[in-house]
Amino acid sequence: MKILRDHAILGAVAVFLIAFPFLIALLDGQSIGAMLAGQSGNSKFYQGLLIEIFILAIFAISYDLLFGITGLLSFGHAMFFSVGAYTAGIALKSLKLPLPETLVLVVFAGVAQALLFSIVLPRVKGITFALVTLGFASVFHIVIMSHELNDWAGGDVGLQNIPKPALLDPANQRLTFYFVALALMLLVYLFYRRFVDSPTGRVCSAIRENEHRAQMLGFNTFYFKLAALIVSGITAALGGALHALYQPIVSPTSASLGYTVNALLIILIGGVGTLSGALVGAAAFRLLQFYLDKLFGESSSFILGVVYVALVLFLPYGIIGTWRAKKLEWRAAWQARWRAWSAARPRGK
Amino acid sequence: MDNNVILESERLRKEFGALVAVNDVSIKIRRNTIHSIIGPNGAGKTTFFNLLTNNVEPTAGRVIYKGRDITRLPLHRIAHLGIGRSFQITNIFPNLTVLENVRLACQSLGKHNFRLFNHYQHFRGDEERAGQVLRQVGLTERALTPARTLPHGDQRKLELGMILAPDPEMLLLDEPTAGMAAEVVPEMIDLIRQIHQTSHKTVLLVEHNMGLVMSISDCITVMHQGAVLAEGTPSEIAANKTVQSAYLGGLGWRVVDSGQ
Repeated sequence: MKILRDHAILGAVAVFLIAFPFLIALLDGQSIGAMLAGQSGNSKFYQGLLIEIFILAIFAISYDLLFGITGLLSFGHAMFFSVGAYTAGIALKSLKLPLPETLVLVVFAGVAQALLFSIVLPRVKGITFALVTLGFASVFHIVIMSHELNDWAGGDVGLQNIPKPALLDPANQRLTFYFVALALMLLVYLFYRRFVDSPTGRVCSAIRENEHRAQMLGFNTFYFKLAALIVSGITAALGGALHALYQPIVSPTSASLGYTVNALLIILIGGVGTLSGALVGAAAFRLLQFYLDKLFGESSSFILGVVYVALVLFLPYGIIGTWRAKKLEWRAAWQARWRAWSAARPRGK
Repeated sequence: MDNNVILESERLRKEFGALVAVNDVSIKIRRNTIHSIIGPNGAGKTTFFNLLTNNVEPTAGRVIYKGRDITRLPLHRIAHLGIGRSFQITNIFPNLTVLENVRLACQSLGKHNFRLFNHYQHFRGDEERAGQVLRQVGLTERALTPARTLPHGDQRKLELGMILAPDPEMLLLDEPTAGMAAEVVPEMIDLIRQIHQTSHKTVLLVEHNMGLVMSISDCITVMHQGAVLAEGTPSEIAANKTVQSAYLGGLGWRVVDSGQ
């Protein structure tokens, strides 16, 4: 019971997301059988949109662990994602590996790049670390576009025609893909929650607060930052692998600064350092992008910019951050309103 | 080596360009004593302190702790030796709760820092010890408030608590009463004295507050322009003509009187 009470909102969201494809099919008048068979329709379309959100959420939460929890500002985080995507794509396409081996390779790639980033950890701090990581990602971006790697990575067009495993083909088996992506996102979220509350995660928060004090207490802060980098690197790489499986093409722009900024925007919208903010932020980010694009077409990015500025101005702690800060206040206000209303109501009816 | 000496500096020196901030300072701190370093602003007290714990790298000289050279030890190793260090500018985790600040200090020397899959509350000992320490420094009621919301004096106590948490043998306190309201200073003095008496810790103190220094120290080192001017018991220092003329003038003792 306690678990249910503690995670009531998460449980409700999970149930809703599981039911979502069926609900849309019902609303659309599509039969459940046709929906399960993967016939096109609104349900399949929205499944696709949500899969993109889940992948974005995995990417963003891995960024939140670095920036929001540990206080490491990285401008090269897109590389973590991109390396996962390219590793998965190349393993499936050129090396013809089956999916499980591919995923093992992706995890190793995630660890490897975390180790690469950690080389500079003891030497640079703050904005310098951000710039060095940007340097790493830019080098990767250029290398992956180079002609020499054309046969492997597809040059500046990107990696195309990645063979999709039959069971996870986003064209025919989109519902399965939807549930796999949803499950991965929820698992990552739960693991992150536990990580943040583990002794290791608590030290990561302490490092964000005051690294020097953490050192003087006797923590070798390097290892804690390395732990955060590795967890974050693996997560982002897995998100990238999912991206490679889902999208028809892995573009080199997935390693660009813009892609890192997306993660930053998502957690700013959702709430920095809240973890759940990454999920809410990813949904808000992608849905805003989608609907504004639909409504305004070309000028949508301008309106998107205005929306971001407004969000930062009016919700400086993001959606979840503001919610947490104001929760009690709002509850009291609503209770007062409710009492006033029920007192004013004529009795005896 | 004198077994009674717990920490000693050997001709410790720090130059910032042409400025010699600490000029070949050699002092010995004996076990279970309260040893204070005093001196006017710019005498090099804090720099000397930073050299002891390697927060600043010395130009020359050595720091010996229990017979072991710790001059260039990485910062995180200092605590593992049983040395707790506070800073002149309050140095806490502002957005974590008071309890969490102290709990982390308890956790630091434990063996479960990398248990990724356990909740931190699984390790009961840390929290129990943290509760104990909070009682000791008198912050039990503020345990669940964010540390940044504490008044300055309480933040200083919290920092002292964080240092006490792993039960170190030696405390290095850099102006523990700096910026504190005059009426809470005696509380801090009592606290330090009480810690010293009940758990027999060695305390090295940098202090401006003459009343505090004179009333609790076993030994006082006077620094002036980066060098040691005099050393002795409080009464010896009070009677020392060089100290009086070079540093205290006629002024210092008025401060002592008002501090009593």
